[in-house]
Amino acid sequence: MKPPPIVAAEPPDGGELVFARRWPSRVERKQAMLDELADVLVGRGWVSDDDREWLLLCLDEVLVNAMIHGNEGDPDLDVDVAIHAAGGRWRLTVCDRGDGFRGEELPDPDDSSSLLLEHGRGIRIMREWLDDLSYYRSGACAALTRRCAT
Amino acid sequence: MATCDFLVVQAYDGIVLARPEKDRLLDAAAIASLSDALIALVDRYPRISLILDLGAVQALSSAMLGKLVALHKAVKAAKGRMAVTGVKTSIMPLFTVTRLDKVFEFFPEAQEALLLYRRKPL
Repeated sequence: MKPPPIVAAEPPDGGELVFARRWPSRVERKQAMLDELADVLVGRGWVSDDDREWLLLCLDEVLVNAMIHGNEGDPDLDVDVAIHAAGGRWRLTVCDRGDGFRGEELPDPDDSSSLLLEHGRGIRIMREWLDDLSYYRSGACAALTRRCAT
Repeated sequence: MATCDFLVVQAYDGIVLARPEKDRLLDAAAIASLSDALIALVDRYPRISLILDLGAVQALSSAMLGKLVALHKAVKAAKGRMAVTGVKTSIMPLFTVTRLDKVFEFFPEAQEALLLYRRKPL
């Protein structure tokens, strides 16, 4: 599996903006963030109740990456989260204040030598459920896209 | 010894059954607490036969998977063995997409691993 695309550009227009929020990098408040975001997507019927756990898992992975890796756990640095919708798809973007990352920094999940690493599985897990996972601003901005359930 | 308030541990002649009684293993504090307590079991029981029963777990993150890999390595380094049991079908894809289904030995029920470990002591 190839690493997700990472480009320097800003995220493209994702359609109608339905949610935007700025949160500090406070992992102890993460659950409230996850619940609020899941309530928006499940509440609108864009994610089915059956898929709520997958959604929460992807949200957890992307928010932890942004707060812990992107913002290096600095509570003074915010993450910006937005949800857009267009053409029967929703897109959630999470942008941190970090410098991003390079695809070469990610372990290759198909390389047997990476099998026993203790990190580097979050992106693979997210891509299992999402239709698309792309990175903008050189990796500081993640865009999670999936077709709407209804 | 590290403790974890949601980990239930039963030991039978070197066979240790550990069952986290928590449905969501997502937050960093819970993951660290559980991981520390499991590693402490490896230190406490030489050549441990560890049965990790995930039957109560409905969700876990990549961070928790990383801790399970660390646990697996610690068990192997101590010349022990480890079984993962009771994994719900809803979270099994997390193990398969990360290819950890090739690393861990899975059993549907803890009882099956317990019987095997009793039949074949280390």
